[in-house]
Amino acid sequence: MKKEAVSGKNLSLGYQKGGYKKTILEGLNFSLQSGELTCLLGPNGVGKSTLIKAILGEINPFEGVITIGGKVNSEFSETELAKELAVVLTEPVLPGNMTVAQLVALGRIPHTNWTGKLSQLDRKKVYQALDATKITYLKDERLSEISDGQRQKAMIARALAQDGKVMILDEPTAHLDLVNRYEIMHLLREICVNNEKAILVVTHDLEIALETAHRFWLMNCGTPLIAGLPEDLVISGKLNELIPGKEFHFDLEKGKIQKRKENSAWNISGDKIMAYWIQKALSKNISVTFESQIKITKEPFQLLFEEKIFGSLEGFLNFLESKTR
Amino acid sequence: MKNKRSIFFLSVGLILLIGSFLLNISLGSVTISPIEIVKGIFTDNWVKGSSKQIILNYRLPKALVAILAGFGLSLSGLQMQTFFRNPLAGPFVLGISSGAGLGVAILMLAGTIFGFSSSSDFNTWAIAFSGTIGASLVLVLVSLVAWRVKDSMTLLIVGLMFGSAVSAIISVLSYYSNAESLKLFTVWSMGSLGGLGWSQVWVLLLIMLVGFLPIIASIKSYNAMLLGESYAKSMGINPSKLRWLMILSTGLLAGSITAFCGPIAFLGIAVPHLSRMIWKTSDHRILFPVSAIIGGILLLLCDSISQLPGYAQTLPINAVTSLVGAPIVISLVLKKNFSKEF
Repeated sequence: MKKEAVSGKNLSLGYQKGGYKKTILEGLNFSLQSGELTCLLGPNGVGKSTLIKAILGEINPFEGVITIGGKVNSEFSETELAKELAVVLTEPVLPGNMTVAQLVALGRIPHTNWTGKLSQLDRKKVYQALDATKITYLKDERLSEISDGQRQKAMIARALAQDGKVMILDEPTAHLDLVNRYEIMHLLREICVNNEKAILVVTHDLEIALETAHRFWLMNCGTPLIAGLPEDLVISGKLNELIPGKEFHFDLEKGKIQKRKENSAWNISGDKIMAYWIQKALSKNISVTFESQIKITKEPFQLLFEEKIFGSLEGFLNFLESKTR
Repeated sequence: MKNKRSIFFLSVGLILLIGSFLLNISLGSVTISPIEIVKGIFTDNWVKGSSKQIILNYRLPKALVAILAGFGLSLSGLQMQTFFRNPLAGPFVLGISSGAGLGVAILMLAGTIFGFSSSSDFNTWAIAFSGTIGASLVLVLVSLVAWRVKDSMTLLIVGLMFGSAVSAIISVLSYYSNAESLKLFTVWSMGSLGGLGWSQVWVLLLIMLVGFLPIIASIKSYNAMLLGESYAKSMGINPSKLRWLMILSTGLLAGSITAFCGPIAFLGIAVPHLSRMIWKTSDHRILFPVSAIIGGILLLLCDSISQLPGYAQTLPINAVTSLVGAPIVISLVLKKNFSKEF
């Protein structure tokens, strides 16, 4: 059963400096469900960080209320809020001396007494968090000696050990390699489903988000937050609203953002997969289209075009370029 | 397992501390053997009456002051480094030592310029009092700023600026003062652990004990601060509360030490790094006691060196801490990857 973990009603958010009030978001409504991985997408500067700060209670809304587990977030004490809500931020400052297990144990700070001594339960939670993020084998490694991807998993484990019902991650996959990005997003989805947590991820990785998120929140300047099943948003074309201007669009067939191209279909015959990649290379590099057929032969790979034979795609592209000039 | 190791190493540290303490009080212009001292203190059975005088009235208070100052400066430095997440922060980044310096400069330099004090007025209490006033003044100013700004980096810069401004005032005072009082002020600014009587030692001890309380109350918060202010907040720690506790604690510790002993350089910045390197941890439950012990040992050893065993002369402690400490730290920093471990 799904439950509402965080909700915002009629929010007006912004910053106040002296007497000057700058409103960034207005009329904002949202509902974050537990057991769901929600991805927040939107261009830079649209107010994603402002929204997160408001949920964390760092800024007070000008209007409207944010509730966490049904209770208004300003009514929580600092420690109470920390028990409900954990974050993974973009700040990379970390003491290299600390081991992974020690880092994860920091997540237990809201639960421990004033000395910060870990109880039996705290230790159990730390191990569970290490286990859920699959980094138990790293527990005694120092933070200065592990990779960026492993460190990010450790940060997620720390947030998990904090044992709140809600986790908010700000671009957890930024500057990670492709495999790590997939791994981390799938990991988050797993955590979400297995532990009944509500996870909100701010990300710019549309393709990976499409594959892993239960729900999308789209934010765009001047329009209210659009929430929905990712696939619904694809079908209804709402994803295109993320993309300003007419130059790019969301390609339904390929599931990614592409440059709009008219009449770029080449006449290619032969192996289908090879044809796909050749088409891709051609539309990326050559601005005009030729009528003549391109024939592909496999083993050895050869391209037959206007009675010339090319052993590599690069040679073919060079030829076409010289031809267009 | 880990706890046993910690207890073992802490005991070794304590033994070393006691060892350096005994070494410190046995060395000097007259060498008195540690056994004789222990026997003398516990049974009041001294070999020579003069030894009793030297030990009880001179060396014992000095060694105690060395331990207290070592504790206080290291603990202040560690708090500053963690709070500001800056490896170069030390106990004096908020301008506390410059403030104490200003107080003393006003007594010694301005006093003789404007004629409200003469060189004969400079007893320990007067110096400590004016140092305390100066340090508190700067501390109040910094607190006013801290109250207004939310950003800890701004506080750090403001503290440094206060320090520079105050040093500039001291320079102006030095420029106009006469040679005799300038020499006295220069000697004060080189630091000295000696010259304090028992009554001053008790006062210092009392202030230090009060200064330790905020640390005990915020050990967990310092651990959370390792991940930066935003993470600390997300874990239920209130950084502004911690900032006040830190200002209070470092003000009491570093302020009183500077007021009584003059500025003692290097120790507060270096000892926390040494502790991190030796212990390989960033857990403040361990770092605080370890830093205190290492600080105490180092200052005792530096003071023993400054005695120039066998001579009646002593070197200024401020120069010795830097001369002895700097090479040690440089070698450690070069050997281990220190910035990675911070």
